[in-house]
Amino acid sequence: MKKSNDFDAMNLDDFEKQLERQPVRTVPADWRAGILQAAKASVPQTSASNSQRVAWWRELFWPCLQAWAGLAAVWVVILAIHFISAEPVEAVAKTTMPPSPQEIMVLKEQKQMMAKLIETFDQPAGEPPKPYVPRPKSECRMESVMV
Amino acid sequence: MPASIDFARLYDDHAQALFAFLLNLTRNEADTRDLLQELFVKLARRPDLLSDVREERGFLIRLAHNLAIDLMRRRGTRERNHEQLAAETPNPFAPSVDPDERAFRLGLAKALAELPPEQRAVVHLKLWERWTFEEIAAALEIPPNTAASRYRYGLDKLRDLLRPLYEEIK
Repeated sequence: MKKSNDFDAMNLDDFEKQLERQPVRTVPADWRAGILQAAKASVPQTSASNSQRVAWWRELFWPCLQAWAGLAAVWVVILAIHFISAEPVEAVAKTTMPPSPQEIMVLKEQKQMMAKLIETFDQPAGEPPKPYVPRPKSECRMESVMV
Repeated sequence: MPASIDFARLYDDHAQALFAFLLNLTRNEADTRDLLQELFVKLARRPDLLSDVREERGFLIRLAHNLAIDLMRRRGTRERNHEQLAAETPNPFAPSVDPDERAFRLGLAKALAELPPEQRAVVHLKLWERWTFEEIAAALEIPPNTAASRYRYGLDKLRDLLRPLYEEIK
């Protein structure tokens, strides 16, 4: 230690160096075991299973990580193209033109024809054929006798 | 850092620095022991705290500082520290056989105890950890200029407090 006669207490640099030279106490050796034991006892049980789960996922995906990344990139590109190319519904509705008078006329004619066809199908074409009713055997006998 | 912490390695690498810092801050060996254990228990419960840390020492000092400040707030330690100081001054410095050095270290310990904790933390990290003001600022979450000004104020106060000791030794 510098004695007071060669140490200028007013000089901050010297004072600073003097303080820096003072060694701090060392941590008591017997603390280590107790503190480490307390720390290890405080490790939550789930953290072990979590790390196992993480390891399992890593084992599953890590070997083909590039393949997964490529697949993800392809999906991103597909989605991007889909969203870029898709037109909004309102825009589609605005772009459809109203039908022309000729088209309306054709539609009306088709409608009328359809109505006539339906009418003809609804009306009976003639008397329906009579259902076969077998005659009594006595009448058959009478006819043969007459012959 | 892996999910499971190597506590033994962490302790061996940083316990000495944390001990000296906490002892200087709390001025109480039992509190220092409790805080050091609390710090390691906290890391054990939340191993993710260290996952993205680049500077372990800086992060651990910050954690220790926050724990010490919490303890002081809980106890309203400023007054308590002064009472404690009257009874005993735990010396954060290594013992010496040289009587002058012993007297100086005891005087320095008493002078340090007079500093506000925020100045004491900066002075400790600058003088005995040899950190830059940027490193101190990052660890204590303060601007570098604040760290520098706290250091200057602290050092000036220490010099004033130690002046009678020099006169006495002379």
